[in-house]
Amino acid sequence: MADFEIRDLKASVEGRQILKGVTLGINKGEVHAVMGPNGSGKSTLSHTLMGHPGYTVDGGEVTFKGKNVLELEPDERARLGMFLALQYPVVVPGISMTNFLRTALNAKRGYDGKDKSKQISPKEFRSMLKTELEVLHMDDSFLPRYINDGFSGGEKKRAEILQMAMLKPEIAILDETDSGLDIDSIKFVAEAVNRMRGPELGVLIITHYTRILEFIKPDFVHVLVDGKFVLDGGPEIADRLEKTGYSEWVKEEDSPKEVA
Amino acid sequence: MPFTLETLEKSVLQGEPDWLRERRQSALATYERLPMPSKTDEEWRRTDVSGFNPAEFSTLEHQNGLKLERPSGLPPGVILEPLRVAAKEHPDLVEPRLFALLRAGRDRFAALHAAFFTGGTFLYVPDGVEIDEPILGQHFSHEGNNSVLPHTLIVAGRGARFNYLDEYIAEDDAEAGYRSGSTEIFAGEGSQVGYVAVQKWGRHVWHFADQRAEVQKDAAVKMFNVTLGGRFSKNRVEASLVGQGAEAELKAIYFASGEQFFDFHTLQDHQVGNTRSDLLFKGALQDTARTVYAGLIKIEKHAARSDAYQANRNLVLSDEAMATSIPMLEIDNNDVRCTHGATVGPVDPDHMFYLRSRGIPEQTAKRMLIQGFFGAVLERIPFEQARNLVEAELESRIG
Repeated sequence: MADFEIRDLKASVEGRQILKGVTLGINKGEVHAVMGPNGSGKSTLSHTLMGHPGYTVDGGEVTFKGKNVLELEPDERARLGMFLALQYPVVVPGISMTNFLRTALNAKRGYDGKDKSKQISPKEFRSMLKTELEVLHMDDSFLPRYINDGFSGGEKKRAEILQMAMLKPEIAILDETDSGLDIDSIKFVAEAVNRMRGPELGVLIITHYTRILEFIKPDFVHVLVDGKFVLDGGPEIADRLEKTGYSEWVKEEDSPKEVA
Repeated sequence: MPFTLETLEKSVLQGEPDWLRERRQSALATYERLPMPSKTDEEWRRTDVSGFNPAEFSTLEHQNGLKLERPSGLPPGVILEPLRVAAKEHPDLVEPRLFALLRAGRDRFAALHAAFFTGGTFLYVPDGVEIDEPILGQHFSHEGNNSVLPHTLIVAGRGARFNYLDEYIAEDDAEAGYRSGSTEIFAGEGSQVGYVAVQKWGRHVWHFADQRAEVQKDAAVKMFNVTLGGRFSKNRVEASLVGQGAEAELKAIYFASGEQFFDFHTLQDHQVGNTRSDLLFKGALQDTARTVYAGLIKIEKHAARSDAYQANRNLVLSDEAMATSIPMLEIDNNDVRCTHGATVGPVDPDHMFYLRSRGIPEQTAKRMLIQGFFGAVLERIPFEQARNLVEAELESRIG
């Protein structure tokens, strides 16, 4: 059994079944890419794995560290070591990025407002932030701002990866992190992710396009069509999709190669 | 001992000047004449006062309930006195203004307050005088089953500039009683007045208060209301813009929990043109709390080129809590800019999910979102001391 095991996962949104039996094992140290055309269920997969209340699980199992992930609340999943970089990070007015990051880090460390020894020290927090900001080519001017408030598309995505770098998950799901990004931002994001790659991290990259996979080389590629994997294999699949698109499975003009 | 002439004679009138005695007696007569508001009055349609019997609380607690914090070295000419002292010593300043903005005849509770007000503050800042440090008036209730009815009268001369904070504090949160805490602000030409009222009376009291400012030419008044206490709170916050270039900012936050009921009525009264008003009332409700907000922007016929903004936002944290919001416009001039809006809704589930997906437990996330909801408006509290006080108070209540 893989470190992170998805077995026959079925899920629906507003009564409509979107995921129709997804099975996938991710080991730490591996990078998996899930590719698929629009509407194939990519976002449903990422949101269901993280426990978004708008998605209903109809069947299947997800296990991680001996736990049945589907029974856990989203925050429990995160503290267990899962992370989801959202396709559309939300703006949350009134809460600063600094406060958000510090509270999340403290939650991960088990600080519940009582045992101060578990709290991250201001010095440690600052030095962690400084390092990660540099990798992502971000300056610290966004830290006092409200969460994602007034951030450009690229800044939002970089801020997602910053959160990932701070929280150091063991399973990270990147949901279309490349969409809407200019090439420089993709490179910075890829650099940051590659820096985190290693035996302690399993990555699931969800994407429509092959471009990000040029910078973050996947070990495995899975093609999701209509809520099921129709093809599993190595990185060569991405090359194949680059040429033929999803036309083997759907009759659409939709190409995995982004037309700029 | 009910609220009668006898009570007035025995416990209030001693040592007060004649004009004030007469004014109180006349307010008492008004009180006796006016009926209890009923649900057929539009203003009271959603606000049930049938359970309130003032006679239960007719013991008056006063004078020693007030603590005034004077900034060191108040500039010469500034008068900061308990209202009853000022009524005697500065009748020329007090008599023409006291209850001129808040008329006793408005309703039974306004009359009761005008007849029996138990002290409070008088602040007079002469023309051209600026005070950097805020002035703090703290009103305490020491015990329950009585009435504490403070009144604040603020007069800003031409070009005066200062900040004032009224804080209403219950020593025992469990006490029942009758409370007010009304304020009249006269903002002279070109003056700048910051006023903050923080109402923290006990959770079981009946609270009726009115705050009203009259803003002269080119003057700017910032009023900030914080309502936290009371089983029942009825609060009117009003500004009359009576001179060209006058500006009023009316902001409020409220947090209602348990069985609390809060009613806010606001008025932005543009009597002349080239005036500006900006209102934002933000509240969070939980448990079975209920709130009513009704706000009127009134632009009178000759008030061209007025600019008025009004918004009421409610964050409803439980299924049993209920917020009602009624924005109203009454515009008699076409050359104006007016926007208003109201929202009533729960915590955004996507915000909640986002915070929780980063490992933040539900309760912590909820607290952060409530604080965030208030965050932007807290920044509008006109001075730091009040801002710190309100932030700390909110934090302890959101828990």
